[in-house]
Amino acid sequence: MAASLSARPRSAGLLLAGCLLAVALSLPLAVLLGVADVPLADSLATLSGGGSAMARSILLEFRLPRVATGVLAGINLAVSGLLLQRITRNPLADPSILGISQGATLAVAVFLLVTVYSHAPGGNTLPDLPVAWLPAVGLVGGLCAAGLVHLLALRHELGPIRVTLCGVAVGALLHALAMGVIAGWGSTRVEILLEWLAGSLYARSWDHALFLAPFTMAGLALLPVLLRPLDLLGLEAAAARSFGLSYRRAFTAVLCLASGLAASAVGAVGPIAFVGLLVPHLARFVVAGHRALLVPVTVMLGAVVVTAGDLAGRLIGGADEIPIGVVTALLGVPVLILLLRKTP
Amino acid sequence: MPVTCSSLSVVYGRRQALSDFRLSMAPGEIRGLIGPNGSGKSTALQTVAGLIRPAAGQVEIDGTAVHGLPRRVLAQKLAYLPQHPAAPEDMTVEHLVRQGRFAHVGLFRRYGPEDEEAIRWALDGTGLTALAGRSLRELSGGERQRAWIAAALTQQAKVLLLDEPTTFLDIGHQVEVLELVRRLSREQGVSVIMAIHDINQAMAVCDAISLLQNGVLKFDGPPAALAESGLIETVFRVRGRFVTFAEGGPPHFDLSLGVIPA
Repeated sequence: MAASLSARPRSAGLLLAGCLLAVALSLPLAVLLGVADVPLADSLATLSGGGSAMARSILLEFRLPRVATGVLAGINLAVSGLLLQRITRNPLADPSILGISQGATLAVAVFLLVTVYSHAPGGNTLPDLPVAWLPAVGLVGGLCAAGLVHLLALRHELGPIRVTLCGVAVGALLHALAMGVIAGWGSTRVEILLEWLAGSLYARSWDHALFLAPFTMAGLALLPVLLRPLDLLGLEAAAARSFGLSYRRAFTAVLCLASGLAASAVGAVGPIAFVGLLVPHLARFVVAGHRALLVPVTVMLGAVVVTAGDLAGRLIGGADEIPIGVVTALLGVPVLILLLRKTP
Repeated sequence: MPVTCSSLSVVYGRRQALSDFRLSMAPGEIRGLIGPNGSGKSTALQTVAGLIRPAAGQVEIDGTAVHGLPRRVLAQKLAYLPQHPAAPEDMTVEHLVRQGRFAHVGLFRRYGPEDEEAIRWALDGTGLTALAGRSLRELSGGERQRAWIAAALTQQAKVLLLDEPTTFLDIGHQVEVLELVRRLSREQGVSVIMAIHDINQAMAVCDAISLLQNGVLKFDGPPAALAESGLIETVFRVRGRFVTFAEGGPPHFDLSLGVIPA
């Protein structure tokens, strides 16, 4: 490994340092900046234990949990995208290709429909509803979709094309059902759902961060074990198996991990567009030849992209903040096109 | 016996892809697998490699049944190279070749000196040392094929299965691959089974040949006996004759073009 690294002009150390710097800049900025102007001195005092009551409330109750949720969701989506792109051997794969986003959407739509009608007639604003359940409901919906795709693919020879086709088909079905539920709803309450659908970090609390943390930690703990199988899963199945990989077991393990990561993130923050698709490509572009750095760089960029995107949405939109999903889509599309042009 | 197949049969849906296939190989033997397109050559190789479960019969490597062995244990005994394997375009040659060591290093073990030596040896043997840092996208079809052969070689298995290893290669590289196969068999006692289209190359390199037609084994024996059997003309539906250019040299099939057999 050392020999292949030294042959490269760009130093691996410099690259990692650059990514760490991006993390070190974007996270504090996302905490310190926002719609409500908190003086810098007050903010710093708050973070070191003092500060005014207002600053404490804004930073500790709103911004910090929001940034923490964003970091965890960003990591989950980015890693999930990387895993899915590898096992489907499809550069366009992301959590929506397995129907995870659509499954979560349908589950949340049905859940809101049921709870809104069983609730008091006045309760049509988001805080009045049992929104604390949304992440769990989204998670279950996403996992059910991924499980269905996996079962359908397992009936035949489990392989990248089979999984992709089953995923697209299941995703289309679930999307249609979700749209049917939403259209049939015919009420102004649709905006509750629309906000979740756009992918947002608005009003995310420590509960959301705590909900995501086990998934992120499980993912980060399992990644080192999966590094070599992931390399082999990028190869044709017959070749990977003859190199000694238990293909079905490795494929299933990676698929389960990717589904858990994506479904938890989608449940907590909604289907944030393009993060799962874009960040792995961005990471591949950044690491150039250093394949060994791809995973750590993907993790860091996932955290940076979501926090920076959310900060941009808050600063540009002001009081009517732009949902993170809209920001990542608006910025992500040109970046993706640029990357595709630069990669041979 | 490194490899024995006892009356293998493989069924795809309703189609019998292989019926009653038998094979028995000595250590260091080079076995050619020939037959028209769709005759079951690849199916036979994949079954021996444990990738297809036969409907009947059994494959044994060193007396152990292939089906039921964990993949990684099998990969230490047997290396198989499919016909046109796919790999990520941004993978470097060295990284691809490194994958062949998975059978030995597994999930966690660090690459030791013997692993690095196996990689270096495989790159050297396929003439790829200078290209080790190139990505696959920068390679010609022939170089790519050699990179895959190198990856299979790093497994350092005593049985090597190659599915048409010389397609895509120019004649110079074809000879290089065949020479490499011969060296592996003679110097290291590796038993090789290769599906091959060029009958004359098969005649020249192989110790024994299996001829397949519609999944049925039509011939199993040394090249000289195949030349005398007249089966090449009937199975491939061509006209031609075997000639010998040098005393003790391999028989050469001389194809007559422009004659369509009745």
